Amino acid sequence: MIDLIEVFDRAETGPLTSETDYYMKRYVPKLAEVIARHKVKWDKETIINTDDTLTDGVFEAAVDLIAEAGAYCPETNRVMQFTRDEIVVASQECPKATTFGERREQKVMRGRRPDTTDDRPWVHVGGGIYTTDEQVFVDTVEKMASFNIVDSVSVPSILHLRGKDSRVRSPQEILSACKTVRLAREGIRRSGRAGLPIINGISAASQPASMFAATYPEFGLRPSDGFLIDFLSEMVVGYEALQKVAFYNSISANIGSTSTPLFGGYAGGAEGVAVTATAYMIMGNLIFRGSYHYNAPLHSKLHLSSTKPLIWAIAMSNAAIGRNMQYPMVNLPYLGGGSGTKQYHYEMACYMLAVVTSGGNVFSGHPAMAVQSDSLIPDDHKFHAEIGLAASNLTRAEAEPLAQKLFPLFGDKLKDPDKGLTFQEVYDMQTKRIVNAEYQKAMDEVREELAGMGLEVPVS
Amino acid sequence: MADADHFDKLKQSIIDQDEDQVLAAVNAALDDGVEAKAIIDQGLLPGLNVIGEQFECEDIFLPELMQAALAFQAAMVILEPKIKEQGAAGEKKGKIVLGTVKGDLHSIGKNILKLLYETSGFEVWDLGIDVDLFQFVDKAKEVDADIIAMSALLTTTLIGQRDVIEALKDQGQRDNFKVIIGGGATTKEWADTIGADGWAASAYEAVTLSAKLVS
Repeated sequence: MIDLIEVFDRAETGPLTSETDYYMKRYVPKLAEVIARHKVKWDKETIINTDDTLTDGVFEAAVDLIAEAGAYCPETNRVMQFTRDEIVVASQECPKATTFGERREQKVMRGRRPDTTDDRPWVHVGGGIYTTDEQVFVDTVEKMASFNIVDSVSVPSILHLRGKDSRVRSPQEILSACKTVRLAREGIRRSGRAGLPIINGISAASQPASMFAATYPEFGLRPSDGFLIDFLSEMVVGYEALQKVAFYNSISANIGSTSTPLFGGYAGGAEGVAVTATAYMIMGNLIFRGSYHYNAPLHSKLHLSSTKPLIWAIAMSNAAIGRNMQYPMVNLPYLGGGSGTKQYHYEMACYMLAVVTSGGNVFSGHPAMAVQSDSLIPDDHKFHAEIGLAASNLTRAEAEPLAQKLFPLFGDKLKDPDKGLTFQEVYDMQTKRIVNAEYQKAMDEVREELAGMGLEVPVS
Repeated sequence: MADADHFDKLKQSIIDQDEDQVLAAVNAALDDGVEAKAIIDQGLLPGLNVIGEQFECEDIFLPELMQAALAFQAAMVILEPKIKEQGAAGEKKGKIVLGTVKGDLHSIGKNILKLLYETSGFEVWDLGIDVDLFQFVDKAKEVDADIIAMSALLTTTLIGQRDVIEALKDQGQRDNFKVIIGGGATTKEWADTIGADGWAASAYEAVTLSAKLVS
């Protein structure tokens, strides 16, 4: 595989072009060409694809897209170009397994293949939802980490410093990032699982300096955690991302290559998102030297990922990578319904059935449209992880009819989703026990409904 | 060919997002003596309206929207000098200064809005991403804008929207411009908190809101 300095050099030596020309003369037409060449087509009904000729066509289209469009570096206004051979080698030599955590909590996240029903997927919970209060932050992390089925956590954001929000790129942001990590590690320590990894390092940092500061051992992030480095949509590889690549590779830390292809944006519809999401996962290893991928396609207007074409595209990208690379993947679901609502649980169940059977690992999602501060409710995430584990016993063909039954339960509500609850509205703040009977009832009823559909979700 | 037939062809060529077809239709109409302003108002803009509706319904996506907008811009290169020659001032719905606030590098939502503004008949000054707050203020004053439209995707960059409004107040300029905000991190409540004139959940809503604000 080409070495990292050579990758960085490609941002200095590729053809000069404006951003508009990159999109209109390279990415957009090439994406349309590779979709047509490899006959990538969504039938507008299927949620979980089972046609692996189509799956492999998506993978080949993604390889061709990188080879023919390249990536764009806005700082140098140059196209980073790679040969087809370089791309194929990067896909063949990607990590198939990544070790996270310390001591007794050290575990391996593996790249999975579609329809694998005899392995336990990695279970990741949490999300970067904003919290207003340090106690709520620590309690949230402690509770998520204490669930014994959990292998890693994403921690919320806390941007308050002396009662004020930290501004992006400010010195206060660096202090907030360090505080986030300190509090997160404290919450994990309180759960009795000190070695448990945080793999969204880190939600409170927008700039490399904040991430690097929070990596200082004093604050508690470790190379065995996971550090997110994102592509700026679409196909943009900025200097800030490459600075993080340089640093985290230098300390041999786990890198989570992260991408958010936008449905309705330059990637177009379902087919374009499937191909582009797959291309990002290949580029995650080729350009970022990722240890795992954080796949987070999103609807450009609704800001969520649970529409039918998006779930199809996300599952398709998992299957394409699962069959051809086995790069360890988690998928970040952005859901319409608010925390604790039945809509939220239905969306999550449909999403889990699609991605886990297609080769993804388990990652609980979080509300997007109806998100509010302090709305990361740990028991939602436990329930969703349990749904993910139940889904891992199914093949795609077995999961598809269940997904089709679930989609009508929330599809019409996505534009005006049910509002949800906050941590404080669900738990007793002293005992941290669920005291909201309606919250528990909604979860119990959805568990029963899923069992009625044929998906038994045991309580862990 | 009757004027109505020219208008149908112009409209369809925009809907087809075919720049060559658009330019051919424009030249044919001019050759037949159709006025440049009528070509825009009765041919090209109705086509762009259809494109906007198709985009909103997800029948087409950003690439098709951009192709239609580029075809329209190519036609305007021919038509604008003719409009000046004919002494008919081009009517715009309003002037917009647009950008993503300081510290925020996200561009797609802002780019979609720019296209929808242009295809809806607004004049747009796109300041790009990571825009310094005084750039918004200075450009709005320079072009006598009707609306300042600011996008922010990140929670940590929201403050930049508040700062622009504060700078407008400091300079005694707040009443001279309408200010609207949008982007993934924004909410109606945030817009109310900072005293913005409006908030839009989507680019399409932003255009509708802007049309109301300038009417």
